[in-house]
Amino acid sequence: MDSSLPCFLLFILIGCLKCSSENENNTRHHDYCVLGAGPAGLQMGYFLSKAKRDYVILERNSGPGSFFNKYPRHRKLISINKIHTGRQNPEFNLRHDWNSLLSDKPDLLFKRVSNEFYPPADAYPLYLSMFVEELGLKVRYGVDIGRIRAVQSDTGRRYILTDQHTSDYTCSVLLVATGLWVPQKIEFVGSDLVEGYESISTNPEDYKNQAILILGKGNSAFETAQSILEKASHVHMLSPSPVRLAWQTHYVGDLRAVNNDLLDTYQLKSLDGLVEARLEKIVIVQRKEQAKKRSDGKKKEKKKLYLSLNKYIQNQEEKNSSEVTGEDLPSFYSDNFSMRKPYDRVIRCLGFKFNFSVFDSSACPPHSDNAKGRLPGVTAWYEGTGTPGLFVLGTAAHSRDYRTSAGGFIHGFRYTARAVHRVLEQRYHNNRWPSTKLLTTQLLSWVLKRIGEASGPYQMFEVLADVILLRGSQCEYVEEFPIQALPQFSSLSGHEISNHGLIVVVLQYGKKKNVDYLGRNRAHSDWSKANESNFLHPVLYYYDKLPTEEEMKLRPKGWALPRPKAIHHIVEDFLTEWDGPVSHIQPLRRFLEHCVKTDLRNFYAESCFRFSLTYRKPPLFCQQGYLKQQGVVDSSQLWQHFDDAGLMPSEHDSGTSGEDSAFPNYLAQAGASVSSGLKLDF
Amino acid sequence: MSSMMWTCFAVFLLWMRSGGCTEKANTSDLIEYTAADFIDKLQSGKTMFVYFQHQVTPTISLFLAELEMSADALQDYGVMVGKVNCNKEQVQPYCTGERALHTAFLFRAGKEFSGFDLDTVFDVNSIVAEVLFAILREEIRYVHTDADLLAMEKTARGKKDIVLGYVRSLGTQEHRSMMATAYVYGSKYQFILITGGPVLEHLGVDERSVSSQVWFLHCRVRSVFTTQTSSERCHLTRMRKPLTTLNLHSFLQLMEAPLVSEVYDDPSSVQAPHFPYQQTPQVFLFSRPATEHLDRDTATTLAWRLRGLALLMLVHRQSPAVKTPDEYNVAYRLPEKSLELKYLTLHDLDEVLELFTYQEKEEEEEKYDAYDEENDAIFELLDDEIALSVYENRGNMLDMDSITQLTSENFHAAVAQSSLTVVLFYLKWDAVSEAVLGSFIEVAEKLADEQESKADVDSTVQMCAVNCVEWTDLCAAQSGGSLPIPFQPITAFPSVLLLRPQESAQHYKGMLGTQALHRFILMSRPASPALLSTQEEVISFLQEVPLPGYKPDRVLGVFETQTHTGVSPFTEAAKSLRGEVLTGLLTDGLAEKWAAEHTVDLPAVFVFPSWRTHPATLSVSTSAEGLLTHINAALLHPLPELTVENLPSFLSLGKALLILFVGEEEDEIGQRQNQALVEEMRGLVESGGWRMEPYLACWIHLGRTPAGMSVLGLYLNSMPPLPALVLTHLPSGDEIYQYPQNTPIMASSVLQWLQRIEDSTETPAGTLGENSWPPAVDFHDFLKIMDTQEADSHTPEEEEEEEEVDEEEANMEEDLVVEEETDSSSSSPAPDNNPNTHSEL
Repeated sequence: MDSSLPCFLLFILIGCLKCSSENENNTRHHDYCVLGAGPAGLQMGYFLSKAKRDYVILERNSGPGSFFNKYPRHRKLISINKIHTGRQNPEFNLRHDWNSLLSDKPDLLFKRVSNEFYPPADAYPLYLSMFVEELGLKVRYGVDIGRIRAVQSDTGRRYILTDQHTSDYTCSVLLVATGLWVPQKIEFVGSDLVEGYESISTNPEDYKNQAILILGKGNSAFETAQSILEKASHVHMLSPSPVRLAWQTHYVGDLRAVNNDLLDTYQLKSLDGLVEARLEKIVIVQRKEQAKKRSDGKKKEKKKLYLSLNKYIQNQEEKNSSEVTGEDLPSFYSDNFSMRKPYDRVIRCLGFKFNFSVFDSSACPPHSDNAKGRLPGVTAWYEGTGTPGLFVLGTAAHSRDYRTSAGGFIHGFRYTARAVHRVLEQRYHNNRWPSTKLLTTQLLSWVLKRIGEASGPYQMFEVLADVILLRGSQCEYVEEFPIQALPQFSSLSGHEISNHGLIVVVLQYGKKKNVDYLGRNRAHSDWSKANESNFLHPVLYYYDKLPTEEEMKLRPKGWALPRPKAIHHIVEDFLTEWDGPVSHIQPLRRFLEHCVKTDLRNFYAESCFRFSLTYRKPPLFCQQGYLKQQGVVDSSQLWQHFDDAGLMPSEHDSGTSGEDSAFPNYLAQAGASVSSGLKLDF
Repeated sequence: MSSMMWTCFAVFLLWMRSGGCTEKANTSDLIEYTAADFIDKLQSGKTMFVYFQHQVTPTISLFLAELEMSADALQDYGVMVGKVNCNKEQVQPYCTGERALHTAFLFRAGKEFSGFDLDTVFDVNSIVAEVLFAILREEIRYVHTDADLLAMEKTARGKKDIVLGYVRSLGTQEHRSMMATAYVYGSKYQFILITGGPVLEHLGVDERSVSSQVWFLHCRVRSVFTTQTSSERCHLTRMRKPLTTLNLHSFLQLMEAPLVSEVYDDPSSVQAPHFPYQQTPQVFLFSRPATEHLDRDTATTLAWRLRGLALLMLVHRQSPAVKTPDEYNVAYRLPEKSLELKYLTLHDLDEVLELFTYQEKEEEEEKYDAYDEENDAIFELLDDEIALSVYENRGNMLDMDSITQLTSENFHAAVAQSSLTVVLFYLKWDAVSEAVLGSFIEVAEKLADEQESKADVDSTVQMCAVNCVEWTDLCAAQSGGSLPIPFQPITAFPSVLLLRPQESAQHYKGMLGTQALHRFILMSRPASPALLSTQEEVISFLQEVPLPGYKPDRVLGVFETQTHTGVSPFTEAAKSLRGEVLTGLLTDGLAEKWAAEHTVDLPAVFVFPSWRTHPATLSVSTSAEGLLTHINAALLHPLPELTVENLPSFLSLGKALLILFVGEEEDEIGQRQNQALVEEMRGLVESGGWRMEPYLACWIHLGRTPAGMSVLGLYLNSMPPLPALVLTHLPSGDEIYQYPQNTPIMASSVLQWLQRIEDSTETPAGTLGENSWPPAVDFHDFLKIMDTQEADSHTPEEEEEEEEVDEEEANMEEDLVVEEETDSSSSSPAPDNNPNTHSEL
């Protein structure tokens, strides 16, 4: 007996090992696979882990956030890390913390790894490691998924992921958080002569006295320009469209002021410059310098790069970009052609694109309509169009708000990841979106609270917005819903819309074009002109029923939502604190009153008393407060007055009550005996 | 046209009266009637004011001189004035008797209409005023209280505007002017005279300092500025000039003038106001098409404030005739300064207002004026009474020294250090929170004073507040550390929680006021239930007075053993009653002893309501809810005095309310009368038995509960004499019945009256207000504004877009080859179709 027990245990252990090793070699199943352990993948991992879901995060590198080990090349993050806000409210502080991920640990914030306003890039993987460790997220490193396909089975659609060891992972839901890392290239004659941002030298000395042409005018282009500005002789930047400044467009993907030194040197005519042209039409050609024979007889050969245009190239079929004549160059035709001088280097800084190559046709999301098709096309709830159960997270999901909001950036997609998770919880686990049930009299306060602190709608302006479901004397507050999916609200969130309608609280910038953002009249303070606000301000849309998909599609240009039944703008505020009784609160209250069709004013108990006696029902505030014995007493009234009111009624009754037949006389005795000793008023 | 004629006539009449009377007096002799004349005139039904002269004393001759002078004045109102010389012939009964010596008589429709003591008709002014007042007796109302006024406003709403006059003393020139005007305009406006006191207070005027005044109440047209606390009040305009007939007349004319006139001419070519406004300044504001709607709103707002002071014109700048330079936004023209226009650039409405009120202040030097003005401005600003009172107080920072600010960091330590911590969770932008914070601080200060005197460390109550704008995690009950937060997330603000170490939080569910909260805190200090283990403890439980002068309700549970099944529901019930009721638990030996002493069967729960001499015994329930229901029922007073604080608990019974309104007692007799009335009601409740079951008999003391005054006024549309008995809140309908005023309130007749109401043979005296509370003020319709703006700017916007394209091309031209760029832009003209390659992705 004694000996057989260990044998038995051993047998079991072997059996276990066997079955687990089988898994190792062939397939492992998880309900959720997250592809990529970057900020988006880990953010989703946190939500899955918190909801105790069966998930795994697959990462081909050996640590999280490996993109940040290389990029940005010049090692400075331009996402702001504002530690000091003067506020304690953690939600509010996230409005100015662009690097932290969301979690329920109040101190798991990026400021723990760096206190620099523009932090070094190395801090980011550090932060992510900390995030993984402290939250105990399940990440498998070194798993390089090379092929993804979908199969339809009886139990539904499944995704099969195959790694470099041909191991398969199957999952019901695939969350693609691979980011964008394939350098974007454009083919033109001579594009092979161009260096890429991903491989250029970051040592400014290497550019000493060189003329540099940078293709692109985004932040990576300017970052590069900025680093070589001091050493290069000329820095020219070429792209199809003029520079867009983030502080003018309010789009953080446009040129940030932190990188824009070259604008100065251009405008002050210091040999740098910006030029517009379509990149498909340019040609980069190489010509040997007219080398002079030097005294030692050696020929110093230096190759220079010239910019030309398609149409100037003779015999295009035959020409090789390195064999050109003067007739192939624009300066031959136009002697003041701006880029007539040769360059030492041409650098491509055109950004990155999504890696579509690992997706089998059964699982491949389409190319987005915008962003030159560099991104996967997704629905308003970030599911790949045509790939149910496959969701795209993080930067790759930016096609929804490309060039408008912050969905391509950590401080934006940390919220969309949460929204996607809520969609999953509702769809696969029947957990409705979290909501707060409120008395309608508390609604005003909650709206003010949210617009005063909420970071999601603030960062993801015009994309995520709070939805208030009106239900008469009560309402339900649903936070951070992706508003482009509003027509599908009921099925996505699990909340029904009543016939009282709904209000959507959006934060948005003004739609006016050509605003001089440093000029006069850039901001308004008159609440009645709030619709002309230029800066981020709250806008409330009231609908009596959900807008349809058709209405969503046909909404006016530039509008975040279709035309509502009523709209309310809260005037932009210099401090983004919308709590002024006259300018912010009263107009908002009147709008809410219009939506809920009832008086929402507050009344002191004395007024409620009057209304309760002279009306069948007093106003809502009295109904929900005073009638529940929680009236508000005007504290400006005197103490004396209350004391009187409290004392007087009892005096009238002393000693006047008649015989109470319901009570047997022993109680009278009891009273008597006690009162004789206690002098009680029995 | 006819109304114009009528106005002209009225002006003429008034002009004659005010201007001409004194000079004319000398020329006309007082008509002396013979007895036959008198009888003849009397029978013809003419209105006559006659003095029957018996003797000639200096006083009488003086009066006769005045009477003579008034003859002419009164003639215009169709009143003949004369005297009869009783020494020549006797007209009975007027030529005999003491009374006739000191009385002048008014005859109307062949009868004596009224007699005036010569003390009240002593000069022309008093004669004209009193005679007209008598004639207009039916049309001019006297109002004594604000509730009366409110009722009048309610009646007049939608029908007539009200002219409200306060005449400092009767028989004066002012009184006469008021009456003369009432005579002319009586059918057009409702004239009301007030006697000072509470009504003046409502109008924001200090009785001691005020001279005679007139207000115009715009009741006919519903004002857009129903921004006062309740929309029942009519917007009012005060006449700022001294009360004379002419001023009053032009004031009334101005009230009829259009609020805002819109013109398309330059102010310089707009004619000076013509008759009857020629004495009125003109103010011009300017409007542009883009902001027309808003400009009109602004103009209307200002016009309301300038009403009676100036006429407002809105000039449309888009008209080519308007030449005023853009830098000016206001122009005005004063009547005395010929046609000279002044142009100004002002930044807010108050500055315009100052132009005219400043002058007025110079003229009148009225002390209360500034206060009045400021008050008005604020009223138009905020229409929420709590928000308004908090806003008005914004200059004074609350003194937070007496309370501890709790944060996520110090929360646990703070709660652990005191046996009772009372916490207010507030949002700083929430008006109710701010108002309650004020009360909360008062309670804290009061408790601190009390605790200082007692120096009782154990029972120290800690008063704390959490600013939920900052400490959101604490308010959401999210525990950052290891210790759990002892309450649920706070979703309603303000909330008051009572925290004790190691216990879950208790929500304060009472009135959010100083007194109620203070009482609750003191009442909740003893354990609930208090475990009574000695005779002394029982005695002290029954005697204890946690708050001086306050009689608490008590509940005592008596059980054989501590483990009795009834103990746990009792304890649970006691917990939920903590703060409202004192509860005690008596078990084991002492319980048995007590039961034996008082011959009670155990277990039992005794309820000692504060108002009752005998305790009520309840059987022990198996559930806490059941027990609570019984306890609460036993605590309910059978004939409560309704107060602001306790009304909700009685309304929740859902019974019809039979309310006796009694006035404030001025003396002991009044007090006794009131007490007798309440006794009679008690008798009614007792004798009525089941017949009284559907009704809750109760009473309201208007002295202690002044809010009851306007309730009564609104019930009956006027203020009845007190006491008044009213039946309202019938489950069957909204009718309000008033017990016949002249019938003494006796149990039997009240019962009969109730029966008649049940039989539907009584006529209701009023009805309850509608159930719905639509928003009091319209919202600012941004959608409409945006639509108008879009319509206005449609063409320019298109141009703008074209411009933009041009600009882009121009840029390209500058830096690259022309043809190249024209090419590219023509192949893909829309910038959106030509996404750019750069990105920070």
